Amino acid sequence: MREPVPMMRMGDNVLVTLLGDLDDRTVEEIEQRVTVEVARTQARGALIDVSGLAVVDSFVARVIARLVAMIRLLGAEATIVGIQPAVAITLVELGVPMRHVHTALNAQQGMLRLRETQSHGVGHLD
Amino acid sequence: MGDVWVDTAIEQSYYQQIFDSITDYEVIRLDIDGGIRSWPEGARRMSQFSAEEVLGKPVTTLFADEAAARGRIREELRAAIETGRCETEGWRVRKDGSQFWASAVIAPITGADGSSVGFVQVARDVTERQEQEFALRGTEQMLDAITDYAVIRLDHDGIVRSWSPGAHALAQYSAAETTGRHVSMLYTDDDRQTGLPERMMTAAVRDGRYETEGWRVRKDGSRFWANVILSPIRDLGGGVVGFVEVTRDLTERRDQEQLVQRQRDEILELSTPVIQVWDKVLVLPVIGTLDSKRASRLTEGLLERISLDQAEVVIVDVSGVPAIDTDVAQHLLKTVEAARLMGATSILSGVRPETAQAIVHLGIELGTLRSRNTLKDALQLALRLLGTAVVDEQVAVHA
Repeated sequence: MREPVPMMRMGDNVLVTLLGDLDDRTVEEIEQRVTVEVARTQARGALIDVSGLAVVDSFVARVIARLVAMIRLLGAEATIVGIQPAVAITLVELGVPMRHVHTALNAQQGMLRLRETQSHGVGHLD
Repeated sequence: MGDVWVDTAIEQSYYQQIFDSITDYEVIRLDIDGGIRSWPEGARRMSQFSAEEVLGKPVTTLFADEAAARGRIREELRAAIETGRCETEGWRVRKDGSQFWASAVIAPITGADGSSVGFVQVARDVTERQEQEFALRGTEQMLDAITDYAVIRLDHDGIVRSWSPGAHALAQYSAAETTGRHVSMLYTDDDRQTGLPERMMTAAVRDGRYETEGWRVRKDGSRFWANVILSPIRDLGGGVVGFVEVTRDLTERRDQEQLVQRQRDEILELSTPVIQVWDKVLVLPVIGTLDSKRASRLTEGLLERISLDQAEVVIVDVSGVPAIDTDVAQHLLKTVEAARLMGATSILSGVRPETAQAIVHLGIELGTLRSRNTLKDALQLALRLLGTAVVDEQVAVHA
């Protein structure tokens, strides 16, 4: 899959959408583009929209967790939005450590959270 | 047979010896009136009477019901003269009073002038064969009496060879309409195309028996859910010569089973309700014991509702749970975590004193899960979270 990762700038934040089947190559490209974009725009927050992923395995779960860690290292806050019920169950059953990952129902909610956090001047939460 | 009776003393003695050597048959000569004129060894063996006891007596004395035999024998002797031969069967009696079923052939003996001078009667004890026939007929009648089952006999290629009244009642086809046709006429188009009848026969030959359930088609095109048992019929050498297919209509039972399943699902649905009490606030009242099936149903149901209503707060009310053990607690925590991943915050409510003790004693880590004593308090907290979500959220995460 060589399609570019849909990415959108929204004020101080970046919205990244994960779609379709993720393989090693796609993941590498996503990580590269997201980190470069967050650094370049000096974004304060990043929303990772996974509502397009109907099924998540442990590989994809690790990809998400890694992406969150990279964004934080760049000084931005990451929030995952749009986790589907089946995906949520899978993540819990797999025991993927997502305790400290921020989540929101949808991109709108996630953006609201990010803005509120930012307006309160709170950066890292961990 | 008449012309073998040559009137010479030597020939006669030869024939006498031949008759005496026949011991499995009763070969006797009767005079023209039916009187017994010869009584060789075979005759003695069969009915145990000695020659002295029967010679000169009417042949009817050999029958179990002598009076009835009298009229019949007269008819049979006349028929033998007219047609040259008469076959007959009947119950005979032995000297000890026991009975046996005899099959006999009566043929006239013709004298030199061409007129009948007597008869030869060749009789055989066929009691065993008779009993087999009765047994066979009994089996057939038994099969015919089974009207709740369709009993069908197929040949090696699956062609219908016999069709019981039960089959008629079940599939509506008469025996005449099915005999000689392939059994696949009773199958659905799909099953016919995928070769199900042939596969069933192959499996029955391989395993000695094949049982299955599936749709079958009646003459009027309607379907019934059938339980089918297919067994191969083998000849003495072990070769498969055909099949017996016993079919039962289970449509009603299947309907009932499905009804029960539906009701069970409905009860399960009812037992894990999710209520929207406020905009973006759901309440999950957990009532009764949670087994793993109910628990996963509960999780799925809740997450679907979160997605559907875009709910931000979930109140998990456990006041209706009699006891919380490790499994139940772990399951509730998983549900809470899954809900959080979706973006919804959970509040526990209705924890009883003993439940609180149990949770801590079991060493269950509740993490950031907030708890309120009553549903009312929990709802107040939920509304506060919605109104001033940021402050509380931070407190929660840092906690």
